[in-house]
Amino acid sequence: MSLFTLQDVTVAYQKQAILQDFNLSIGEGELVSLLGPSGCGKTTTLRLIAGFLQSKEGKFLFREKDYTKVPVNKRNFGFVFQNYALFPHMTVFDNVAFGLRQRKVSKASIKDRVLRVLDIVSLRGFEERFPAALSGGQKQRVAIARALVIEPDLLLFDEPLSNLDANLRVNMRVEIRRIQQELGITTVYVSHDQEECFSISDKVAIMNKGIIEQLSDPATIYRQPKTKFVADFIGFKNFIQFDRRRQESDGIAATVQGITLTVQQQDNAGGLVGAIRPDDLRLYPLDAAPMTVENAVQGKVLISTYLGRSYQYEVQTSIGQFTVNDDAGAAPLANGQDVVLEIPKKQIVLVD
Amino acid sequence: MRNYYKYLLILPGVLFLTIFMLVPIGMTIISTFFPNEAAADTSNYASLFRDSYFLEILWTTLRVSIVTTIICMVIGFPTAYFIARMSAKMKAVLLILTIFPLLTSPVVRSFSWMVIIGRNGLVNEALMGIGIIQEPLEILYTPTAVIIGLVHLFLPLTIITLVGVMESIESDLLTAAASLGASRVGVFTKVVLPLCVPGLVIGGILVFVGSFTAYTTPALLGGQQRVLSTLLYQNANTLNDWHMASILAAIMIVVTFIVITCMNLLANKLNPRR
Repeated sequence: MSLFTLQDVTVAYQKQAILQDFNLSIGEGELVSLLGPSGCGKTTTLRLIAGFLQSKEGKFLFREKDYTKVPVNKRNFGFVFQNYALFPHMTVFDNVAFGLRQRKVSKASIKDRVLRVLDIVSLRGFEERFPAALSGGQKQRVAIARALVIEPDLLLFDEPLSNLDANLRVNMRVEIRRIQQELGITTVYVSHDQEECFSISDKVAIMNKGIIEQLSDPATIYRQPKTKFVADFIGFKNFIQFDRRRQESDGIAATVQGITLTVQQQDNAGGLVGAIRPDDLRLYPLDAAPMTVENAVQGKVLISTYLGRSYQYEVQTSIGQFTVNDDAGAAPLANGQDVVLEIPKKQIVLVD
Repeated sequence: MRNYYKYLLILPGVLFLTIFMLVPIGMTIISTFFPNEAAADTSNYASLFRDSYFLEILWTTLRVSIVTTIICMVIGFPTAYFIARMSAKMKAVLLILTIFPLLTSPVVRSFSWMVIIGRNGLVNEALMGIGIIQEPLEILYTPTAVIIGLVHLFLPLTIITLVGVMESIESDLLTAAASLGASRVGVFTKVVLPLCVPGLVIGGILVFVGSFTAYTTPALLGGQQRVLSTLLYQNANTLNDWHMASILAAIMIVVTFIVITCMNLLANKLNPRR
């Protein structure tokens, strides 16, 4: 049962369409991330849901009611801003109480609810501070408390952690996930950080140029990207454009420039592009290659880079250039060295 | 020790202000207490504050300044709000238009107001022409005329000050307030207005002090109606009573300080931050 649905929505700034016939549906209690590079429309989507901007066409249904024209202040959605957007002239208490005061909640009840929500974000005792006297992490927790206290029907996060330092970011995302699950609030979370999205989401929508390329649970996206864009975005650096593919008894035989590679059976159909992560490729010196190498392709090392845990090699082969991460334990390969590249058939994902 | 070098940066400014402002002002104020180079004497102040002519002028000056300040705020605030929300290009154009009146001297502007609000001026001609009034309105040479001239003089300053403050309000604060359930009116009164207080105070001080000490505009538009600055001029130049002129100057300085202090206190009360 979906909580809300965006139906064939189009949003344009001036003449340029940001979202075109956009569709998204999210279920009750889920945390869904919108992930994508800057300019992909993820923030626009979030602001559209919040009601900060109006769509030119299409509908926004919330609990099967038409919310398209409902103004921001009547939606009862909590929004957490990237730059926190705390009111600088109000104390932490007044910031959090703002939404309740707009709702004409009684004084005693306001105090009760504000203190309770400050407990949830571990900021009890900070009520009388002004935002200027808080650290970035504390500000963000006030912002979350302020959005939570109104008991929103939907919680919206716009890159809430991007202004925090790395350690704090990890702590805060665990915190956000904990609070979200404790309270069971449906949440839409926008970020450009893949790890962040994968770690906290029930589902991730990978967006590109105003469309959702794939909407699945994080593990599926990680293992089975549907399109080349998604694969590229989540770290498949190597792509082979096959000319044709043929179903065999033990898998798929895919051919490129006369060379046929064996690819394991795909869960979903997939297209003609083979995607492989740099970590999944293996390299052997030409004279020391073992006898049983799956999908062996001969090549030459162009550049090697030391990454600490591994070496990264750029390898030129007859079917294209590959990026390979190889264990740093073994003796490094020299630039210009002839090598055999192994492309394990299990690691090739066919995408559109 | 090394840190003291940075104070060298303000030395020229401090020296200039000390020699050409603090010392002369201090000497002027001190001299008011020693009319005969004898013992300190405050009887002149005492008699002045019993003089109904002076009290009437003091009150008129205060009233004109306060009304001017309020009118500038009331007109300037929405205008500034409008300008602050324009695109960068439009904003530049509107700000230049705002500053434009400042390019003409107060004398020129006062004379043009004489043409507009005089007995046979544009306003009276127009109003009588369409039959709203039978007799011309007496606007020129009244406090009203002075207020009109002063508003014209200080409105640009008010607007520029307020635009600066309003621009610094993040637009996300307004969306945040709306998303928490605030109506347009609520967003304005709970967020925009309090955050504009510093601008209102600075603008208010500028307008009040400017109006309180203005000379040209009241001299040309006020007619027989004196204000403190024209009274001071009369004492110094016409009556050659420099002692009385100094006393008036001292009173103007003290009133100005009192007003600035009060407005700052008010600002801190309305807009706490720390």
